[in-house]
Amino acid sequence: MTPRSPASIRSRLDFWQAASGACLALFVLVHLILEGSVVLSPTITDGIGWFLEATYAAQIAAPCIVALILFHFWIAARKFPLRSGELGIFIDHAKALKDPDTWLWLVQVVTAVVILAGAFFHVYTVMTDMPITVQGASQRLHNGWLLFHAVFLPSVILHTGIGIWRLAVKYGFCVKAQRDKWRKCIYIGMGCYLLLGVLALTRVWFQI
Amino acid sequence: MGRKLTFEIFRYAPLDPLSKPHMQTFVLEEHPSMTLFIALNMIRETQDATLQFDFCCRAGICGSCGMVINGRPGLACHTQTIDLPDHISLHPLPVFKLLGDLSVDTGTWFRNVGKKIESWIHTSKAFDPAAQEDRMDNDLATKIFELDRCIECGCCVAACGTARMREDFMGATAINRMARFYIDPRDNRTPADFYDLIGDDNGVFGCMGLLACDSVCPKKLPLHDQLGIMRRMVSVESVRGILPEFIRKKLAGSCGCHSKA
Amino acid sequence: MRVFQSDVLCIGAGLAGERVAVEAAQAGFSVICLSVVPPRRSHSSAAMGGMQAALGNSIMGDGDSPEIHFKDTVKGSDWGCDQEVARLFAQTAPIAMREMAWMGVPWSRVVPGEHTYYKGGQPFQATEKTENAGLIHSRAFGGTAKWRTCYTSDGTGHAVLFTLDNRMLQLGVTVHDRMQAEMLIHDGTTCMGCVARDLRTGELVGYFAKGTLIATGGYGRIYRATTNAVICDGGGQIAALETGVVPLGNMEAVQFHPTGTVPTDILVTEGCRGDGGTLLDVNEYRFMPDYEPEKAELASRDVVSRRMTEHMRKGFGVKSPYGEHLWLDIRHLGEKHITTNLREVYDISTHFLGVNPIHQLIPVRPTQHYSMGGIRINKDGHAYGLKGLFAAGEAACWDMHGFNRLGGNSLAETVVSGRIVGGKLVEFLQGYETSFSTEAMRDVMGKVAARIEKVAHGTGEDCYTLRNAMQDVMMEYVGIFRNGKDLETGVTKLQEILERCQNMSLKSRLHAGPNAELSMALRVPGMVKLALCTAYGALKRTESRGAHAREDYPERNDKDWLVRTLAYWKEGDTLPTLKYEPATPFFILPPGDRGYGGGKIIQGNPIPENKLVPFAQGA
Repeated sequence: MTPRSPASIRSRLDFWQAASGACLALFVLVHLILEGSVVLSPTITDGIGWFLEATYAAQIAAPCIVALILFHFWIAARKFPLRSGELGIFIDHAKALKDPDTWLWLVQVVTAVVILAGAFFHVYTVMTDMPITVQGASQRLHNGWLLFHAVFLPSVILHTGIGIWRLAVKYGFCVKAQRDKWRKCIYIGMGCYLLLGVLALTRVWFQI
Repeated sequence: MGRKLTFEIFRYAPLDPLSKPHMQTFVLEEHPSMTLFIALNMIRETQDATLQFDFCCRAGICGSCGMVINGRPGLACHTQTIDLPDHISLHPLPVFKLLGDLSVDTGTWFRNVGKKIESWIHTSKAFDPAAQEDRMDNDLATKIFELDRCIECGCCVAACGTARMREDFMGATAINRMARFYIDPRDNRTPADFYDLIGDDNGVFGCMGLLACDSVCPKKLPLHDQLGIMRRMVSVESVRGILPEFIRKKLAGSCGCHSKA
Repeated sequence: MRVFQSDVLCIGAGLAGERVAVEAAQAGFSVICLSVVPPRRSHSSAAMGGMQAALGNSIMGDGDSPEIHFKDTVKGSDWGCDQEVARLFAQTAPIAMREMAWMGVPWSRVVPGEHTYYKGGQPFQATEKTENAGLIHSRAFGGTAKWRTCYTSDGTGHAVLFTLDNRMLQLGVTVHDRMQAEMLIHDGTTCMGCVARDLRTGELVGYFAKGTLIATGGYGRIYRATTNAVICDGGGQIAALETGVVPLGNMEAVQFHPTGTVPTDILVTEGCRGDGGTLLDVNEYRFMPDYEPEKAELASRDVVSRRMTEHMRKGFGVKSPYGEHLWLDIRHLGEKHITTNLREVYDISTHFLGVNPIHQLIPVRPTQHYSMGGIRINKDGHAYGLKGLFAAGEAACWDMHGFNRLGGNSLAETVVSGRIVGGKLVEFLQGYETSFSTEAMRDVMGKVAARIEKVAHGTGEDCYTLRNAMQDVMMEYVGIFRNGKDLETGVTKLQEILERCQNMSLKSRLHAGPNAELSMALRVPGMVKLALCTAYGALKRTESRGAHAREDYPERNDKDWLVRTLAYWKEGDTLPTLKYEPATPFFILPPGDRGYGGGKIIQGNPIPENKLVPFAQGA
């Protein structure tokens, strides 16, 4: 047997990709639920916002999340079809194969780019427009941010849902026998979150 | 009278300077129980003797006849024309070196991968002709055989988005083979050894979970489940010295991959 | 011109070839394996059943011994085998199986406790011993006194082949796949290697070796309906025969299987009939009871095959674009039985025929299955006539199968003879030096190149037409039922085809790269020669023995025919020269009744005392 080579950083990237992805997914799921509380009552949302600010959780978490997104993107980008011809090959491949999961990977690549850009703007505007209130958010929506959210929200939900699905499949948590069940759950989950997001946006829109 | 089948077949002889890649059309009358093995041989024997393709056992066991049938990799010998539309397009498997028309060099590819992953039992024990065989639980023997059933047709590699983009990715078949040795008690390799052999982006971390390997495997092997098991085992191994040992042990235990830890 | 040199050259990398290669590589010799396909695609992989070895671990194999295995083998061969070789085989088989376990074969193992097994379709209970838990298990195969067939689920050949090929990787054995050996290089006394055609590029490649092994499997493709893979064209036998000095043994001994499916000739197991499946004709009438009132479909393999042929000759066959066939009916066994006990049959029918056997009939016909004959070697694997030429496996006539081989004995032979022949090859090589003649290689290169030129400029029929003509003659005149008149006709027709091969044409243009038509074209004349050896040997053997059934000579004749046919081919001839040798150097089991198959025996002369040997001697 060949002598054992020292563990290279490259071999650990996959672990960090999975770990950072899992953290971000958790964050998104919680973040959207908290945001979604506006559907029940804007007062609750404002309360949550006040609490997170007063404890400095938001001020600390926001840059951390951005950093984590950058980190996750930087690691995962090694798989991007950036080298010459790769994207073309992959698209042709997906077209011929007609396999949904192969297409989903392209969705993941596109949404990744959208999220990277979007997250930066999103955090920047929120952080420079303190305190966090439903009223403030509503104003921003009316000032043209609706379109941004119409793209950003589905991207985040898709990327997160597909990401969780991939994580489960790649690390063998979701085995062949349970795959259909998992897939269904993920689709339903994504649907619910999207619905919640739309309801929340609608509620915020009419806040003014 | 059967249907008229239109075959559109990829033609190219890389070593012939006169040859250019193109699609050629053949028309054939369909017979009952016709498989692509029969159809292609009929075309070669009655229409165009220059057509190149590979068959051997013609019974779905040897893995020679993998090709892309209407966009999806599969074994030509157990593809019946009755299951296909009137129009059938045939391409050689991608990723592998093209030898001519539908014939690709899977042999060299698999041999190289076999060497790379050291696809053999690593044991220090010598064979003793006078001794009884080492005992093995039959369930374990069956489990090993289930993973050993891969016929190396190359369909999973051809269906893999990663393999299409990155030439050095060893594909589901190689990871499945490693999984076979991983559960074999005769093989003395430890998780650290497996980590050395497949613990990078050309190995188990190259997999992006696209699942196409599973859906095209003609032997219906649970390729992706094996990828999952191996990935977890190797990942846990990759963070040795980073994660506290008790967490790592716990992770290793939770993935049922402690047999050699 | 590429020329390679090694200690050992293995032509063929199936089970037998790889097992010899492993033995030689383990001993430190350099080995090159040639194979027309990647080794793991060899036809060995298709053998599902198992390997016979008297391990005696399973309860139904309890009390088994190499001696009982030996007796079964000799009876199976209808006393046509070499008893010294059969003994050697039976004694080595258990060791060879254990060795394969050590190398990594996941043999199915004994599970202690009560199990339900089947015999003749009837279930019964048996209790496996606790002390044998985890040892190699065995299953039942026809013609054996004990259950002794070691197996790995339904993929024994595949599992053993992959294990051996893994060992080859470990030992670093060089493999040149997609390489077709065309002719041996020799000087009339010593074999020096071969000239091969690279199937990737079309160029000729020379190989020099101290020891050359032929392990290219059977030559079933001389028949139209064969269970053999498309590569089983007898390439190795042809190369040996064309030397003029190496004989082929017992080429007339060809085994047929009653239930090959149509059109792809994939085998469905005898279990179908064992469990109650019936054979129907074009009118969906069950005809077997008319011929064999007592046993009907359950008569022995060769008998059922013969009756099926007879019935089709009477015009009751089902016409199809792929030739005539009959029906196998298992519908009445029910969905549950078919999808569990006969799952393999269900899978083959649905995947390859598009037939659902629960509701539909399966098209079947008797199909060539195994070649007992081949390159005649001595018990060490050394070929007659050429020093440094060896053979093993189905390509060889070692000869442990005689005129009929038992199920599970052929697959076992590959690794057992591989082990023995490999060992003897190593002994042969130790301290052996020879000289390679570049002149001889150039001559052979020239001959092969001339063949290619000739066919490229031919104006006659193409290779497929000629091959089909040969296959039709073999099916029609040299099939299961043989008689003098048909065999004469067959021989004449084959000679005529051999003549037509002289002007064979090529439809494709010669260029660098693979050319399947040329590969076939270069094979066909040799295949016709093999066909002639088979047909002519069968014509001259005026008796019935094992798979060789003469309607005009129905008795087994131990008086005149306890001999092995040796077929030589002199250059320029249109017929082989036949010689004969005693079937066995001595008798451990004197000729007698097989205990099945019936048939009359013409008693031979009493065996002299000095020719009778006990089994234990030489153990």
